[in-house]
Amino acid sequence: MSDAPNEHEAPYLRAIPRPTPWPLITAFGCTLVFAGIVTHVLVSVTGAACAIVGLVGWFREVFPHEATEEIPIAQCEIPLPAPVLAPRSTPRHTVRKLVPEEIHPYRSGLVGGLIGAAAMAIVAAAWGIIDAGSIWMPINLLAGVVLPSIGSASEEALKSFNGTWFACSAFLHVSLSLMVGLIFVVALPMMPKRPLIAGGIIAPILWTGVAWASLHVVNPTLEQHISWPWFLASQIAFGCACGGVVARFNMVRLQFGQTIAERLDVEQSKGGSR
Amino acid sequence: MRTMSNEASVVMSATTTMPSRAKVGMASLIFMESAFFAAFLVTYLYYIGKSPDGPQPLDCLELGPVLFNSACLIASSVTVVFAVKSLARGAVGAFRLWMVVTILLGLEFLVGTGIEWRGLIEGKGLTLQSNAFGTTYYALVGFHAFHVAIGLLMLFGMLLLSLCGCINPKRDHMRVDIATWYWHFVDVVWIFVFTLVYIIGKVPQGGSL
Amino acid sequence: MTTTPAHSDPARSDPESSGGASTERLTFWEEATRWTLSVDHKKLGLMYIAAGLVFFLIGGVEAAFMRLQLMKADAGIIDPETFNQLFTMHGTTMVFLVGMPILLGFGNYLIPLMVGARDMAFPRLNAFGFWLFIFGGILLYFSYIGSQGLYGAPSAPDVGWFAYAPLTSRTFSRGNSTDYWILGILVSGFGSMTTAINFIATILCMRCPGMKLMRMPMIAWMMLVVAGLVLVAIPVLTAAQAMLLLDRSLGAHFFDPETQGSAVLWQHLFWFFGHPEVYILILPAFGFVSEILPVFSRKAIFGYSLMVAATVGIGFIALGVWAHHMFVIGMGPVLDSFFAAATFLISVPTGIKIFNWIGTMWGGRLRFATPMLFVTGFIAMFVIGGLTGIMLATVPMDWQLSDSYFVVGHFHYVLFGGTVFGIFGAIFYWFPKATGRMLDDKLGKWTFWLLFIGFTLTFMPMHVSGVLGMPRRVYTYEADRGFELWNMISTIGVPVQMAGILVFLWNVVRSLRKGEIAGNDPWDAWTLEWATTSPPPEWNFDRVPTVTSARPLWDLKNPEDPDAHYE
Repeated sequence: MSDAPNEHEAPYLRAIPRPTPWPLITAFGCTLVFAGIVTHVLVSVTGAACAIVGLVGWFREVFPHEATEEIPIAQCEIPLPAPVLAPRSTPRHTVRKLVPEEIHPYRSGLVGGLIGAAAMAIVAAAWGIIDAGSIWMPINLLAGVVLPSIGSASEEALKSFNGTWFACSAFLHVSLSLMVGLIFVVALPMMPKRPLIAGGIIAPILWTGVAWASLHVVNPTLEQHISWPWFLASQIAFGCACGGVVARFNMVRLQFGQTIAERLDVEQSKGGSR
Repeated sequence: MRTMSNEASVVMSATTTMPSRAKVGMASLIFMESAFFAAFLVTYLYYIGKSPDGPQPLDCLELGPVLFNSACLIASSVTVVFAVKSLARGAVGAFRLWMVVTILLGLEFLVGTGIEWRGLIEGKGLTLQSNAFGTTYYALVGFHAFHVAIGLLMLFGMLLLSLCGCINPKRDHMRVDIATWYWHFVDVVWIFVFTLVYIIGKVPQGGSL
Repeated sequence: MTTTPAHSDPARSDPESSGGASTERLTFWEEATRWTLSVDHKKLGLMYIAAGLVFFLIGGVEAAFMRLQLMKADAGIIDPETFNQLFTMHGTTMVFLVGMPILLGFGNYLIPLMVGARDMAFPRLNAFGFWLFIFGGILLYFSYIGSQGLYGAPSAPDVGWFAYAPLTSRTFSRGNSTDYWILGILVSGFGSMTTAINFIATILCMRCPGMKLMRMPMIAWMMLVVAGLVLVAIPVLTAAQAMLLLDRSLGAHFFDPETQGSAVLWQHLFWFFGHPEVYILILPAFGFVSEILPVFSRKAIFGYSLMVAATVGIGFIALGVWAHHMFVIGMGPVLDSFFAAATFLISVPTGIKIFNWIGTMWGGRLRFATPMLFVTGFIAMFVIGGLTGIMLATVPMDWQLSDSYFVVGHFHYVLFGGTVFGIFGAIFYWFPKATGRMLDDKLGKWTFWLLFIGFTLTFMPMHVSGVLGMPRRVYTYEADRGFELWNMISTIGVPVQMAGILVFLWNVVRSLRKGEIAGNDPWDAWTLEWATTSPPPEWNFDRVPTVTSARPLWDLKNPEDPDAHYE
C-alpha cells in the first residue's frame, strides 16, 4: 500500500548512538569492586572509583540529550533503488497451499458412514451365523458397550433377541458409523498418499490393534466372545465401503470464508466442484 | 534515559502507541529486584523459629523505634509524590523543597536502622554470626538498607541536578517520575520486611530443626 | 497492504565496502577501538557470540581431558583434585559463559532487526551488560592464577557447577576458589539481567509500525519469555550467592548444617534458578528452529498462536518444577508428587512445539542446507533428551538414576543436541546476514555429520553406563564393573566432535575472506532482517519498515497473495 515514503519520517536523516567507553569503564569498576573481596580492599576501592567515574560519564552521555553520531548526509543521499530482495536461486513460486486444499463434501461422509455401517453389519451377521451360532450374538455384544448388565447375561440370553438391546445396539452402530464417516471426510485428504489404503486398510488394522489392547476395559463381555479375524474383517469392510463411497463424491475446494452450508455442499455453485 | 531523538520515535507515535521504554525498563528492574528480595524473604521465613540458641527475636526486636523509622520511610514516599507533582506543574522551588524533605526522611530511616543495629550488637549481642536469626535478620534488613541508600543517591543526584539548573520541568518531569518509582519500590519492600521480621517473626524459637 | 522495506543502495550491498558508516578501510587499531567502544547491538551481539565460542573451546577442552581420564578403568592421567576442577569449570563455563552469552548474543543481534528497530532500547546498558559478562568470565578463570587453594596453591573452583552446601563452606572449601566461582558468576549474572531488561524494553517498545505482538517472529517471543525467566531466576541465584558469600567471608549461617543452617535451602534456591536456567538455554534454540524450519520447508510455521501460547506456558511452568532435581534428598511424597506432576505437565507445551515443527515440515518442499540439517538434528536429539527427562521426572526412576551418568547423558542430549545444535544452525543461517558471505555448505555438512556422529558416540553410551550404576563426578572407576566398553565408546566420540569443530572454525576463517557473496536474502526468507543489506548498516534500516503480517517479506515478494489477507 504505502510504497511512498512515510511522510512522518525524514527519509535521509541518520543518527546512531555515539560509541562510548563509559559503560565499559563502569563494568570494569563493578567487577573490580567484587574482585576486591578475594584480593585486596584497595582493588575494591579502585573499582568503586572507576565505577563512579564511569557512571557519571555515562549519565552525561544520555542527559540532557542522548549523544548521537550523525551519519554524513552524503552517504544516505544516493537515490534509493527498489529493494534488493531477489533470492539467490529462484525457487519456483507456487501459490499458497492450504492443507487440505480440497475435501469431500461432508454429506459424503454421512452417506459413506451409512453404507459402511451396512457392510459391517453384513460381516458381523455372517460371523453370528457361521461362527457364533446366532445372528443376535454380535448385536447383543455391541450393546454391551453401554449396558453393563449384559456382562452378567447368560450365553442363552446373548443368543436370543432382546428389544432393548437391539435398539441400543442399532443406535450405537448408526451413530458411531456416521461419526467415523465424518472423520473420514476430514482426515482422508490429509493422508499423504493413497487415501483409500489409509482409510480402508491401515486405519482398520490400527483400530483393531487399539481395540485388542483396550477391550477388556471397555467391554469385557465382548472380549470373552470376540473373534479377532472376524472383527478385523468387519472393520475393513466398513473402511473400504465408507472410503469407497466418500471417494466417489466430487471434492470441493476449501475456501476461507465459506459457510457451513457451502461446505455441506448445499450451494455447490459457489463452492465450485471439480 | 530519554526518548529516542531521531525519526523512529516520530513514526512510532504517529502510527502505533508503544509503551515508553523508560517505564518498561524501570518496571523490569523493579520486577528483578522483587525476585531478589523474594529469595531473602523466603529464606527469612524458612528460618523463623529455628534458632534455639543465642539471642531471640522476642528479646531483641522492639517495635517502638522501628515504627517511627517505618513511618518516616512511608511518609517519604508521599513527599516524593508531592515533589514530582510540583515539577510537573513547573514549580521547581517546591520540587527542591519536597526533595529535601524526602531525602531527610530517607536519611532518618537509615540512621534509625543504624542506631537499632548498634543497640542489637552492643546491647543484645546479636550479630550475623550468632545464630540463624541473626544471619537472616542482618542479611534481609541490610540488603534493604543498601537499596534505600541507592535510592537516596538517586534522589540526591536529582536534587543536585535541579540545584544546578539542569532539570527542565517540561522536558524532564516524566524521567524524574520514573526514577522515583524505585523509591516507592524500596518502600513497598520495607512493608514486607517489616511485617515478616517484626510481626510474623516474633515467635518463640523452638528446637524444631 | 505490503511492506515498506528498507531500501538499500548498491554501494552498501557490496560487503567489501560496507561495515557501517565509513567506506574507507580502517587500520586494525581503529577497527578494534570502534568495536570496543561500540554500543551497536549488532557489534555487541557478534562479540557475545565470538566470546561465547572462545569459552566453548575452553570448556570443550576441559571435557576432553575428563573423557581422556575416563577412557579406561583406573587411569592415572588426571588426579582427583584436577578432575573436580575440570568438571566444575566445564559445567560453569558451558552454562554461564557459553550458552547464555551466545544465546543472548543472538538475541542482541536479531531482536532489533526482526522487530524493525534501529537499535536496542538502551544501547549503552547493552554494552555494559556485555562487558560485565566478559569481566565476570575473566574473573572466574583468573582463579587458576589468583586463587589460594589448599596449601596456598592456585586452585580453580572444585565444588561442581551447582556448588552444593556444605561442600562450599569454609570447612570443606579452603582458600578462596569458591569465592571466585561466586563472584565470577555474580558479575556475569548482573550482565545477563541488564540484557534481559533491555530485551523486554526493546520487544515491547521498539517495534516498527504494524509489528503487533502476534506478528513478531517466534524468536522475539522466545526471547521475551527468556528475558522474563532471567529476571525471575538470576536474582534468586544472586541472592543465594550473596548468602553464600556472607557465610564464607563474614561467618553467617545460611547453609552450614553444623550451625543451624540448611544445606537443603541452598538446593532449593539454586534449583529455583537452575531449572528456569535450563529453559533460558533451550527456548532461544526453540526460536532458531521456529525461524529456520519454515524457511527451509517453504511453509509458514504451523500453529503460530499455539506456539506462542506454548512458549508462555513453558515460561510459567518452568518456575514450578525446580525440585525435580532434588527427589533424592527426601522431600516426602507430597512434594515429590507435586514436582513430578509439574514436570510431566511441562512436557505438554514442549510436545506441542515438537508437533508444530513436524507439522511445519509435513508436506513442505524441504531443502536440506546446513542450517536445516542442524535444526532437524536438533528436533531428533531434543526429543530423546526430553523423553529421558520424563523418565527422570518419575520419582522411583530418579531415585535409581539420580547422579548417575544417565543424567549426564540426558542433559547433554538437551543442551548439546538441543541448544548447541540450535546455535550451529543459527550460525550457519545468519552468518551471511552478519558478514555478507555464505559459510561453505559442503564443509557445513561435514561439521554436522561429524558433530552428530561424535555426539551420539559420546553421549548415547552414557545412558547405558548410568543405568549400570556409574556415578557422576567420579574421577575413575574400577575395572570389573562393566563400565569400560561404554566409557571407551564415549571417549572415542570426542575426537570426532573435535574434528567437526575444527572443520567449522576453518569454514568460518575461510568464508570470512573467500566465501560466496550472500546478497541480502540468500535463503529467500520472510522476516525483516533479510530486508536490509548484508551486513546491515549501523542504523539497520534506511527507512523504518511498516509491516502488515507475520511474514513481511512474503507479502513483499508475493503481492498477489499476501499473508495479511489471511490474518
